[in-house]
Amino acid sequence: MSLTLIILAVLILILVLMYNSLVNKKNQVENIFASVDAQLKKRYDLIPNLIASVSKYMEHEKSLLESVTSLRTKATKPDISNTEKIDLDNKVTSALGSLMIAVEAYPDLKSNENIIHLQSSLNEVEEQIAASRRAYNQVVTDYNNAIEMIPTNFMAKAMNYKRKDVFVINEAQRENIDVKELFNK
Amino acid sequence: MKQIEELTTFYQNELYPILEDFEKKRKKLRTQLIFFFIIIIWNMATVYFFFFFGKENSFDILPFFIAGIFAIGSFLYKYIRRDYRSEFKEKVIKPLIKELYPNLNYSANLHISKDIFNRSLLFSPPDLYNGNDFILGLIDSTKIQFSDVHAQKEYEDSKGNKKYSTIFQGLFIVADFNKNFYGKTVVLPDVAQNTFGNMLGSWLQSKNMSRDELVKMDNYEFEKEFVVYSDDQIEARYILSPTFMEKILEYKKKSKEKLFISFVDNHLHLAIDYRKDLFEPTMFTSLLDDKVTHEYINTLHLAVSIVEELKLNQKLWSKR
Repeated sequence: MSLTLIILAVLILILVLMYNSLVNKKNQVENIFASVDAQLKKRYDLIPNLIASVSKYMEHEKSLLESVTSLRTKATKPDISNTEKIDLDNKVTSALGSLMIAVEAYPDLKSNENIIHLQSSLNEVEEQIAASRRAYNQVVTDYNNAIEMIPTNFMAKAMNYKRKDVFVINEAQRENIDVKELFNK
Repeated sequence: MKQIEELTTFYQNELYPILEDFEKKRKKLRTQLIFFFIIIIWNMATVYFFFFFGKENSFDILPFFIAGIFAIGSFLYKYIRRDYRSEFKEKVIKPLIKELYPNLNYSANLHISKDIFNRSLLFSPPDLYNGNDFILGLIDSTKIQFSDVHAQKEYEDSKGNKKYSTIFQGLFIVADFNKNFYGKTVVLPDVAQNTFGNMLGSWLQSKNMSRDELVKMDNYEFEKEFVVYSDDQIEARYILSPTFMEKILEYKKKSKEKLFISFVDNHLHLAIDYRKDLFEPTMFTSLLDDKVTHEYINTLHLAVSIVEELKLNQKLWSKR
């Protein structure tokens, strides 16, 4: 009789531990995503300033500037989902990359004190975004592992936890990093 | 860092004559040392045979005599070597550093302060702490200081005698870091994952109570060589960017020794585990051997190159 009780108690303990570790992992993902979000917001705050400073010079790049602005407006809407945020962030990054390449063609802009400052601020924010993205990818990987690996996968199914997406660094973005390096020199 | 040719002329014209001088002194001292050592052994042996040999317990006493010979011998070694050593540092090491890096100042008897050593969080606080060969200065407007450090911990052996074990002995380097940060991040050689494999090792690391949270890095090779602890997951990755991790790996390959790195208080702390005192004159091998001077130069270059290699001189906007 007491043996059954002990076995039952151990089983319940294991279930509780599994449940807690899953909740912990899920919260960690949310927690780190909040930091990513904060960093992204910092970058979105820099964009209007940047657009205002370059628009006087960049007559021929009107459509590029407009697309950056509209992407920013979309990304700063309050009611978008995390997946949308990740998607928009990718687009903003590549648009900003193209904008920075375009700046190279304007000698006046390149030497403008204000622009140089904005570029450095953007660089700094981008480094921080990159760091928080990597942190996010790590916690999401831990979370995804937990909900797919035995034995926690049964528990996860019961709790209706689903796989989450990681930030994908696409080829275009990798090239942009090179451009950033050029500015650093 | 000067060009190789310039360095060769400096070595041949200025350093070599001084080294030749020291080589003569070294040979004299070595003969003296051997002579004294023979006398000590002779005396001890006489005392032993005269008073103890053939008596009861004569074998129990033998180890004490041998220990005595070593104690007196090592005291004598240090004593005889003292002037030679300090003169060597003044006349060889100091000019060598001035020639290689005019911006750096050298002081033979100072060392990195114990406060800085403890601030780095790399090792447990030592009971006995000393060092020498302190070097301080600016490389490309980045402040750097380093010295030999020997940190020891006190313990009692099975008989209750006080003993000291080495926590760390080697080169300790401190440099300004080029990014602003607020947390504490520590990078240590990965022992657990190499001994117990990835899964179990990583689990053990995450249970290390004396350290902050484990940070899993996304560079496979880096993760294999090092283990990272930090109180801020994001900041640890902000400091250890993908390129920075590559550079640390390259630096480790160059140094060929165990590296302990920490980022605390906007400073980078790097401890290279040589397990010996550096920048010392040789006693029983020739000073004129190229290898000896090469080792001084290589060690210096390795310490100073950290600024260039890890790009600590490329400041981000917020640090300008």
